[in-house]
Amino acid sequence: MNLLYWSILVLALALILFLPRVGLLALYKNWRTAYEREQVEDALKHLLDREQSGRHASPESLGGTLDLSRAKATRLIETMETQGLIESRGAELHLTAEGERWALHVVRAHRLWERYLADEARMPLGQIHGEAHRREHNLTDAQLDALDAALGHPTRDPHGDFIPTREGSLPKAEGTPLTAWQADRPARIVHLEDEPAIAFEQILAAGLRLGQTIRILERTPQRLILSDGENEYRLAPTVAANVTVAPLPESELLKREAMPLVELSHAQKAEIVTLDEAVQGFTRRRFLDLGLTPGTIIYPELQNFFGDPRAYRVRGTLIALRKDQAAQIWVKPV
Amino acid sequence: MTTSIQPNDVLAKAEALRNNLSTGFRDEIVKSMYSEAESIAHRAVKTASDKKYDFDQKIDRLVTSPITGLPIMLLLLAALIWLTVEGANIASDAIATVLFTLGDWGRNLFNYMHAPWWVTGFVWDGVYRGLAWVISVMLPPMTIFFPAFTFLEDLGYLPRVAFNLDWLFKKAGAHGKQSLTMAMGFGCNAAGVVATRVIDSPRERLIAILTNNFVPCNGRFPTLIMLATVFVAAGFGGLTSSIIAAATVVGVVLIGVGFTFVMSWILSRTVLKGEASAFTLELPPYRRPNVGRILYTSIIDRTIFVLWRAMQTAAPAGAIIWILANVPVGASNLAAVIAGWLNPFGVLLGLDGVILLSYIIAIPANEIVVPTMMMMYMGAGMMVDGPSTNEAIRSLLIGGHGWTILTAINLMLFALLHNPCGTTIITIYKETKSLKWATLSVVITLGTAFLVTFLTATIARLLGWA
Repeated sequence: MNLLYWSILVLALALILFLPRVGLLALYKNWRTAYEREQVEDALKHLLDREQSGRHASPESLGGTLDLSRAKATRLIETMETQGLIESRGAELHLTAEGERWALHVVRAHRLWERYLADEARMPLGQIHGEAHRREHNLTDAQLDALDAALGHPTRDPHGDFIPTREGSLPKAEGTPLTAWQADRPARIVHLEDEPAIAFEQILAAGLRLGQTIRILERTPQRLILSDGENEYRLAPTVAANVTVAPLPESELLKREAMPLVELSHAQKAEIVTLDEAVQGFTRRRFLDLGLTPGTIIYPELQNFFGDPRAYRVRGTLIALRKDQAAQIWVKPV
Repeated sequence: MTTSIQPNDVLAKAEALRNNLSTGFRDEIVKSMYSEAESIAHRAVKTASDKKYDFDQKIDRLVTSPITGLPIMLLLLAALIWLTVEGANIASDAIATVLFTLGDWGRNLFNYMHAPWWVTGFVWDGVYRGLAWVISVMLPPMTIFFPAFTFLEDLGYLPRVAFNLDWLFKKAGAHGKQSLTMAMGFGCNAAGVVATRVIDSPRERLIAILTNNFVPCNGRFPTLIMLATVFVAAGFGGLTSSIIAAATVVGVVLIGVGFTFVMSWILSRTVLKGEASAFTLELPPYRRPNVGRILYTSIIDRTIFVLWRAMQTAAPAGAIIWILANVPVGASNLAAVIAGWLNPFGVLLGLDGVILLSYIIAIPANEIVVPTMMMMYMGAGMMVDGPSTNEAIRSLLIGGHGWTILTAINLMLFALLHNPCGTTIITIYKETKSLKWATLSVVITLGTAFLVTFLTATIARLLGWA
């Protein structure tokens, strides 16, 4: 009796451990493969990132970025060399053609996911990098094409970086670091670097966002003071180096003579000038579907008794918008 | 000699040009479509006068003003529910009489053919009775509620309700249109879940789906009204007793609405975290309702749709109920034995084993909870109506089965907060196409129901009220 009992127990344990696909051992193996693949992909991204900024990766820089011990980094490099993804030349690591193709694939996945998380899932900007990092692995080209098409073939991610195309072309980043921008000349923020995360959090906490028009008021070795016309922002120069700016585009010039829709008084007629660049994806499509296109006449007609939302007459229909939405539509009173 | 252009050159050129497109090029496309449409409309459509427009504006000011807006809304909702509950009573009795007479004929036919007693019982007292009960109790309120609701929808009034209440929903991280799906939930939660399609942002739509069940539907109103009249308002005479019963039901409904907001708030800050999506709400001009369309959408799209799903689950439930009541275990039957097992847990929640068992086997439709309960309390072999007078119900439950006022109140709370009925769960699954959300909808409602009834029972006992 006792023997039977024990043999059943042992059998059950063996099954739990060794069952193909669902056994603990199989699960561990799957996890291990996925983990190794993720490590390879992260390493490829690091190399690509270095090559684009004109420097070269080294075993030390790789270990530092991926948080690996020296021995582990060396082992990873050896594995990747046998896979034909990278080559060591002295202390420098270089991507092979195959390695670069794969690296661009991962970068494309990452940036497309970031676009999705920011526009469609409306996740806070500070969180999208981590979430996109979790989702960027183990995706096929076909899956990425589907995501790309669903998002309307975006060219840039929410931080302003270009998204590589399927063919693997990636335009050079444009713009000047904020620290090198000439004071008193208006500039538009075109890129916010999301790594390291601490610096990115500081940029977000200061209130800066992509597409904002700013001007440098004061520059000292300790800090930079910026203004967008209403608020002042203070940044440490090390943080400011992660903000890239470019000259103002045309739409910004339009916006300067306009006011947000939310500030119109009751029944005051105005013409829509432009939709704010911060509005992308789902929200922007919704606005356009409802006919909130540039050049349209709009005026507030009905007020909720708590002030929010307010209904606006546009093209003969009445459309209610919440305050934070109406603040993203720029109009010019007529 | 001509140089031919290769497709790849075109692609490469397009790829290079693409990055120079201004971000507003999509806006320009939509803008050109709109101006084309506008020029066509300008040629083809003539506007006669502004009279209709001024009239619409006057109504809009009336229904959205702080003084008149809110009372109009509450009055309309109260009228809608009163009309449904009162009107349904009469029709339900008539349908029940016809269907149960048919059932008697069927049973007689089987007896005449000398079918074994358990075949007759299973088919006619189990499956058929379950079906007949659900149809007779569910059909009338739906055929009254849905057309009335669709009437308000067609009139153009409902978007104004969403407009009025949006500030409240915004605080809870939800969408103003959730007020409409909640109102629909008074008719039927499954229909309320389907109605969330009007909410165009996925996150807010899921919040509306997961919390819809906190609004009591037609199937639960009779239970609430019965308990309020028989127990809470007992001991008061005449008009006072009616007022107290009505106030109790309104109070329970308000508790449910409160839980909707609390749960929406929690969901929008945990599982469904994120920034508020676009709130855009079109307020259409008022129109004369189209009777034909109202009848079609409310009867075909809503009533038949919901009833069909309910019938699919009611027939097996009827069979199970009959089996439980008719499989003998010693001197007792299976239902009584299981109720006995569940009793300690039921008592902990201020309820009892019979109530819990009724809720488990009556998952397909809330309408059959009370008849199943009565069947077990009265020791009958099939679902039955309770005793006909309030005194008789009180003496059966309080005298015979140890009920207290706490049992009645906790049963009302449990009826309000417990898991969605089978039909609603299936609908949530079909709408979200996800087992995860369907499961979550059960977990959060049932969890709330257990927690709330446990707390009220414990507090009442500690204070010596029960």
